Amino acid sequence: MDYAGRLSAHLPLATRLLVLKADGSVLVHSDSLSYKPLNWMSPPCALVEMEPDEEQSAAGVTVVWRIDQAKTADLLVISIHEVLHDSSHELGADPGLRKDGVEADLQRLLAEQVELLGEGTRLVRREYPTAIGPVDLLVTDAEGRHVAVEVKRRGGIDGVEQLTRYLELLGRDPRLAPVRGVFAAQEIAPQARTLAEDRGIVCLLLDYDAMRGLDERPDRLF
Amino acid sequence: MSSNHLFIDPDSPTPTDPPGTGVRGLWQDESPQQKGTHVRFEVNRDVFSEAVSFAVKLLPQRTTLPILGGVLIEAGDDSVTLSAFDYESSARTTIGAAVGEPGRALVSGRLLADIASRLPAAPVEFSVDGGRVSIRCGAGRFTLLPMPVEEYPALPELAAAGGLVPGELLADAIGQVVVAASRDDVTPVITGVQLEVGENSLSLVATDRYRVAIRDIPWDSADSGIVEATALVPARVLAEIGKTFAHAKTVRIAIAEGGDRELIAFSAEDKAVTSLLIKGNYPPVKRLFPQSVEDYAVLSTSDLVDAVRRVSLVLEREAALRFSFSPDGLTLEAAGGEQAQASESIDAVLTGEETVVSLKPQFLIDALGGVHSEFVRLGFTRTDNPNKPGPVLITAQTSGDTGPSSFRYLLQPNLLLR
Repeated sequence: MDYAGRLSAHLPLATRLLVLKADGSVLVHSDSLSYKPLNWMSPPCALVEMEPDEEQSAAGVTVVWRIDQAKTADLLVISIHEVLHDSSHELGADPGLRKDGVEADLQRLLAEQVELLGEGTRLVRREYPTAIGPVDLLVTDAEGRHVAVEVKRRGGIDGVEQLTRYLELLGRDPRLAPVRGVFAAQEIAPQARTLAEDRGIVCLLLDYDAMRGLDERPDRLF
Repeated sequence: MSSNHLFIDPDSPTPTDPPGTGVRGLWQDESPQQKGTHVRFEVNRDVFSEAVSFAVKLLPQRTTLPILGGVLIEAGDDSVTLSAFDYESSARTTIGAAVGEPGRALVSGRLLADIASRLPAAPVEFSVDGGRVSIRCGAGRFTLLPMPVEEYPALPELAAAGGLVPGELLADAIGQVVVAASRDDVTPVITGVQLEVGENSLSLVATDRYRVAIRDIPWDSADSGIVEATALVPARVLAEIGKTFAHAKTVRIAIAEGGDRELIAFSAEDKAVTSLLIKGNYPPVKRLFPQSVEDYAVLSTSDLVDAVRRVSLVLEREAALRFSFSPDGLTLEAAGGEQAQASESIDAVLTGEETVVSLKPQFLIDALGGVHSEFVRLGFTRTDNPNKPGPVLITAQTSGDTGPSSFRYLLQPNLLLR
């Protein structure tokens, strides 16, 4: 297999899995090293099957695939010596990837279980709008003071920055001010925690399993 | 489980309202308070080094408030007090010194500790003059920039009255239970060790939901009048407290309840450590313990430790060991997947029915490290739930004349997979 264009690459002769997709892309996989293709040509591209020349035939090549990228000058040439298996399958429409524990679910669960934010906490609303986008949850604490909550799956520094911007805007609203912040996530990076706490933002780790009522585990006492 | 200490108390010092963030730079020499400061004292090298290393032990590793990385040095008439404080916990020690000029100074804790531990064997001369801290010892001399002492937060007051416990027993008990405390911040309440003062006894409880460890030690309420109280102390701080006071004859424990900052203070001789308490309701884990156990095995503690360590070598992380108790003894089996297997049989005296349990080796080792006894008793309980095996109760097996040990460790076995 030889690749020419923006970069040059060569994969030596070996048993490989070639995937031709309906979108026109061609992917070359091996049995290990990587879950990603070792090489590929992205669509739009054209595949031409060619007879091997004499030199190639002498080397054992039975068929040559030449894949041309339509937009760029990239070229992928695959020299096939032997076909072990060839099959074609219609996969149909893709329902899309759904991640378990997505932020939306955490946000919904936390809205339903606002007491996790402290006793006496009440939900004002989810997706409270601000000029720069909605803040995940706006709640009031036991004393009736407003608290803005940013919900993340993994809490990083960027999430803290985002919440800081919301807090600044919300704090300008005399009906809400002063607004404190809670950064809630399944896990929080140490630097994000430090930054948040330095800004007076409280960090809250969310136990997704417990919130879903799935924390009954046989290896735990309670 | 919910966290009840989520919101920062508005009246307490918070990181949004730190000292030392005023317009004045932290390191400027011309601070008027700094200029007038003169401190001078001479102190024994070993005494000084030990005091500094104690004071910095609980200092935060990285803080956004550099001033909290300092050690406060206060020279009085004939003594010097060294303190560290990070709003959560504080450490304070007083040492004898020949004080030339009393006063206060604040210097970087880690740097001072590094210096103090390397000083030659000679008296240490500490002085602050012209905005510089100078430490002379033998032929060596260090000059450090102090931090502005007037911006350092006030340390929590120590209550005069408190209950008394023997230092060695306290250290013992902390060492036994602290391993079982959770390290998972998702459940802040169980990252603490629950101290429960009852009639003449102090009970220490720790759990991470997989196991519960409990130890009772004698409590002398002394002049404190504390005969019933609970305090949830961060396990990390308590572990340091255990090491600090292991050699103290008696340790005074004062619990300041009520008020918005609940505090516990441990003090002995010239040292004191305080910690904020974790807020929240500790789970009622004591009721998980069985009233009585009919089926149990007695084994040599060290034989069991050795066998568990050996056999678990082939285990994957987090995997459990299979323990089969029969009248012939105990057989340990480890299945390390395709790669490796191991098994070993050791002597065990079984009373009651034959039992097979699956236990995480580290959880069992933690328990065996706490029994402090030549022989250990593993008690087996039954449950009606086929999907949850009955917990195993681990205690010391003591002969009649040494009296029963109060250390109890309840461990939830894994489901048997085969």
